[in-house]
Amino acid sequence: MKKLIATLSARSPWLYRINAGSCNGCDVELLTTACIPRYDVERLGCKYCGSPRHADIVLITGPLTARVKDKVLRVWDEIPEPKVTVAVGICPVSGGVFRGGYSIEGPLDKYLPIDINVPGCPPRPQAIIEGVIKARDVWRARIGG
Amino acid sequence: MFGFLKILAANVAKGPSTDPFPFVESPAPKRFRGKVRLNPALCVGCAICRHVCAGGAIHIAGRPDGSGYDFTLWHNTCALCGLCGHYCPTGAISMSSDWHSAHPQTEKYDWCERHFVPFLACEGCGEHIRPLPSALTGRIYADNDVDEAHLARLCPQCRQLETALHLGRNGHEDHKRA
Repeated sequence: MKKLIATLSARSPWLYRINAGSCNGCDVELLTTACIPRYDVERLGCKYCGSPRHADIVLITGPLTARVKDKVLRVWDEIPEPKVTVAVGICPVSGGVFRGGYSIEGPLDKYLPIDINVPGCPPRPQAIIEGVIKARDVWRARIGG
Repeated sequence: MFGFLKILAANVAKGPSTDPFPFVESPAPKRFRGKVRLNPALCVGCAICRHVCAGGAIHIAGRPDGSGYDFTLWHNTCALCGLCGHYCPTGAISMSSDWHSAHPQTEKYDWCERHFVPFLACEGCGEHIRPLPSALTGRIYADNDVDEAHLARLCPQCRQLETALHLGRNGHEDHKRA
C-alpha cells in the first residue's frame, strides 16, 4: 500500500512558492507558468499548493533580504522531507544585481541546500518548466518512486 | 442561443494553444535575449562590457606571464540586459537565443562562458599586445591609405609613430584636398 502511494504520488509533485524578497518579475513568470493555458505546468502533474506542508518541490525567488530571511527559513522548515529546492532567477542563485546590497543576506545556498538553479532575469516560462522537470526527477529519485 | 457552437468550431479548428515544450523543443522569438556569447576572435579586452554589466557577471584578467587574458562570464548572475553587447565596439559579444538555463547545483560555478584571448608580440618593440581585429582597423583607418594589417600588429605607441611617419611622407588626406 505504501509503495502504491509512493508510485502514484511520484507522478504529481506539488509546487510551493516562496518569495524571498523578489522584485516580482520571477513571481509573474511562475504565475504565467501555472495559470495560463499556453504553458500550463499542470500537464506535468504539478500543481501549486497554498500550504508548505503539502509541498514537494519548493520554488524560491528573490535574493533573500534581511527582512524575510528568518521567515523564509521557517517556512522552508515546514515543508516535509523529502523536498526539492529550486532557485528561480539569478537573485537566489548568486544575488544577481542586488549582490552586496546592505539588506541582502543571500545567496540562498548559504542557508539552504539548493538542488536546481534556473538563472534568468526572469527565466522564460519554458526554462522554469525545464527546471521543474529536473526537480521532479531529483524528487522521484529521492522518494524512490 | 447556439452562438457558442461557432466559437467551439473555431477553437477546435485552431488546435491547442499550449506550448508543447517538454515534449517538443520550443524555439525562442527572433530577438530573444538568451545566454551571452563571446566571439574571442573579435574581443580586444577593452572591458567596457565589465564596466556596464549590472550584475557584475564579467571578469577579465590578464595572465601573469603576459600571454593573453581570460574572459569569464558567469551566467548565474547575468541579468540578460544586453548592455555588454550594445556597448561592445567590435561586436564580439552577442545574445544567443539559447534559453536553457536549468542546471543542478553541482554545476553552479561551471555555468560560465570562458575564453582565452592570446597576445602577440608587437612588430615594432616586441611588447605583448592584443592585435587589433580587422573589423576595428577597417573602421579606424577607413579614410586612410595605410597598411592596416601591419598597424594591427603594433602596440599603440608604435602605431602612433608609424602613422605619424606615414603622414609625414605622404601628407594627410585633408591637406591634399585643400
